[in-house]
Amino acid sequence: MKVASQDFLQQAHEALRAKDKVERRDLLGQFMPAARDAAANAYGDFDGLRAHMKRVRGHTTEHLAHYLQQFEEAAVAHGNQVHFAATAEQLNSTVLSICQTHNARRVAKGKSMVTEETGLNELLLKAGLEVLETDLGEYIIQQAGEAPSHIVGPAFHKSLAEVRELFLAKHKLGERALESVSDIVEEARGVLRERFLAADVGIIGANALIAEHGTTMLVTNEGNGDLCANLPPVLIICTTFERLLPRAEDAMALQRLLVRSATGQSHTCYTSFYSGPRREDDVDGPLETHIILLDNKRSDILASDYHEILDCIRCGACLNHCPIYIGVGGHAYGWVYPGPMGSVLTPLLTSLEQSHDLPNACTSCGRCAEVCPVNIPLPDLLRDLRQEESAQQLKPARWRRGLRLHAWLLRQPVLYQRLTGWSMSALGLLGKRRGAFRRMPFASGWTSQRDFPAPEAGGTFMRQYAARKRRGGRRG
Amino acid sequence: MAESVRAALFARLRERSPAPAEPAEIARALAAIGYATAARMPHADLHTAFIANVLANKGTLELALDRGAAVRAIGRYLYKRFRTHKLVAGNDPRLAAMPWRDGGVLPRFGAAEPGDAAALSYARLGVAETGAIVTFTGRANPGRNNLLPEDHLVLVNREDVVATLEDAWAKIRLETGAGAWPRGIQFIAGPSSTADVEAQLVLGAHGPRRWHVILVGDTPAQDLEQARGELPEA
Repeated sequence: MKVASQDFLQQAHEALRAKDKVERRDLLGQFMPAARDAAANAYGDFDGLRAHMKRVRGHTTEHLAHYLQQFEEAAVAHGNQVHFAATAEQLNSTVLSICQTHNARRVAKGKSMVTEETGLNELLLKAGLEVLETDLGEYIIQQAGEAPSHIVGPAFHKSLAEVRELFLAKHKLGERALESVSDIVEEARGVLRERFLAADVGIIGANALIAEHGTTMLVTNEGNGDLCANLPPVLIICTTFERLLPRAEDAMALQRLLVRSATGQSHTCYTSFYSGPRREDDVDGPLETHIILLDNKRSDILASDYHEILDCIRCGACLNHCPIYIGVGGHAYGWVYPGPMGSVLTPLLTSLEQSHDLPNACTSCGRCAEVCPVNIPLPDLLRDLRQEESAQQLKPARWRRGLRLHAWLLRQPVLYQRLTGWSMSALGLLGKRRGAFRRMPFASGWTSQRDFPAPEAGGTFMRQYAARKRRGGRRG
Repeated sequence: MAESVRAALFARLRERSPAPAEPAEIARALAAIGYATAARMPHADLHTAFIANVLANKGTLELALDRGAAVRAIGRYLYKRFRTHKLVAGNDPRLAAMPWRDGGVLPRFGAAEPGDAAALSYARLGVAETGAIVTFTGRANPGRNNLLPEDHLVLVNREDVVATLEDAWAKIRLETGAGAWPRGIQFIAGPSSTADVEAQLVLGAHGPRRWHVILVGDTPAQDLEQARGELPEA
C-alpha cells in the first residue's frame, strides 16, 4: 500500500472537520475500552496472563531460528510448500505465480494485514485476477475503494446509511429496503457465498504459527477465513515469522489475550488450526497449501532497540484507547497500521523520513501501554523514534533550536525555577481579572482552541514543595 | 533466489543468539515458563460452567440422557426450525450407530452442500472455560459441515467436556498421536457473527446462523437452570 503518512497533519486536520465521523469515533473510544475492561476483569488474573505471554514471547524471540526451523520442518512434513519472502514484492510475486500455475481466475481472501502491507490485491487485479475480500469490513472498504481505518474493524468509520448506499450501487439486486444492519449482513452473505464456492484460490493470514506442530492458527468470528481455508482447491497463507510460538498452549494463551483485548469476547466463534493439504481421510479441503513467510524489514527490527513491537498481536486495543487515534481516526495515519502500534511500525516498515509525524502523534498519556496485552512499552518506543527524528534532523531547524534551548534550561535548576517563578507571577497578575487568557504569545496553537487559565497565587510547584518541606510537612 | 532469501533470514536470526542453545536446553527453558492460568469459571461445576459459556456465546443448548434422547431432540429441533427431518452428518461411526428412526430423522452421511439447512457434528471435546466445542476435519466431520449450513448442531458427550484450553490440547495430543495429525482442528464457540457494521452484533455472517449444542449424558436439569441464572448455585 502507498504511504501517505507524510501528510499526517493535513489529514488529521481534515478528519477533525468531519463532525459526524468525530462523533462515531468518540463512541468507539468509549464503547471498546468498556468492552475490553469488562472482559479483562471477568478473566481473573489478566495481568498475570499478560506477563506470562511476555515471557513466552521473549523466549521465542531468543530462540527464533530454532523455532522457525522446527515450524518449517513440521509444516513441510504435513505437505505444505513453505516460501520465504524478503520484501513485499517477493510475497506478491510468489502469490501471483502460484495463482498463475493453477490458471486461477478467482481469489477469495480472508482478513490479512500482511497483504494490506504488501499491497497484494493491486498486483493480482492488475494481472487480471478477480480478488474478493470476504471479511465483511474488508469487503465494504474494498467496494468503496478505501483503506482500513482500524485493524480489527476496517469499516468502523462507515455509517449504516453509507454502507446501504454502497451496496445499492454495487449489487445489482433491484429494489430493496436494506434498512438495518441485519439486512446488510444478509445481503453480503448472499453475494459472498456464491463467490466462496466459485473461488480457485483462498488467501488467509495467521494469528500464530505453532512451531511444535507446523500448524497455523486462524481466529475469526465471521467464519469467512475458514471458508477460504476449506473450500478453494488452493490455499495460500501469508504471514510473518514473528507470529511464531512454541506450543499450541501458547497460541491459546495468545487467543485469550487477543479476543478480550480486541472485542471483549472470551472466545471467537472460530479458532482453527490448519496443518496442510487434504489428507487421505479428508473429503474436503485444499489440495495444495502454501505458507509464505514475509520478512519486510522485520529481521532489522528484531536486531534493533524496537524489537518489542514484534510482539504485537494486532488486537487494536491501543487504537481504541489512544486519544489521538480516537480524535483523528485511522485514515489520517496514511498507511496500513494506525494508532500507537502503527506509529511505531510505520516508520520502521516504511521510513522515518516519510512518517516522522506519527511518533509525534502522542500525548504520552500511557493508556496504550496500560492495556497492551503483551506489555509493549509503546510510549517509550514512540519517544525513541522522536529522538531519532531529532538526530536525523527531520524536524525544522527552528523547532530543534527551541528544543535544545529548553533542554539547556532544564539543566539549570536555579535559573529555570527563577524564570518560571517570574513568568508565573507576571501571568497571575495580568490575568487576575478574567482568570484566563484568550490569546498568548508563543502559545497560539493552544489558545486557538481554548483559553489558557491564569496561574493562581501560591507560586510554582517547586516553590510550594520547598515551603512545605520547610514547615516539616513530611506527612505520608 | 528463494533459497538465498531463506538462508539470509536464518543467518540474521542466528546472529541474535551467537551461541545457539541445544534443543534440550531450549525445551527446559520453555518448560520452566509453564502454561498460563485459565479464565475464571462462571460456575464451580464443570458442566454447569460449560453450559453457561455456550449460552454466553449465543448458542442454544439441550440436555439428552442418551443417544436415543439426542436423536429425538434433533428431530424436534429440525421440525421446529425447518419443518423437515433432513440433516447432513459426517461419516462418524458414533453418528452412524445412532437410533435415527426413533426421532424420525433422515441423515445423509457425507459433506455438506450449498443449500443444506442443517449439519450435525459429533464433537471430540467441549471446553468449559470458553464454551467451545472441538472438531477435527476428516471423513467423520468434513470441514465444510461446520461452515456451510444455516444451523450447526453439535453433540458432545458429558465425559468429553474438559475444564481449560490446556486440558483440551492435552486430549488432542493423545488423540492425534504420531502421523495422524488432522488437516484442521476447529474450536467453535457460537454461531458465525460480525460486528463490522455500526459495531452491532449480527449472527449468521458467513457461516451458521444458529449453533445448537446437545450435551449427551446424565446431566441434572437444574444444572441447565443454574447456568441460565434461573437457580442460585448450590
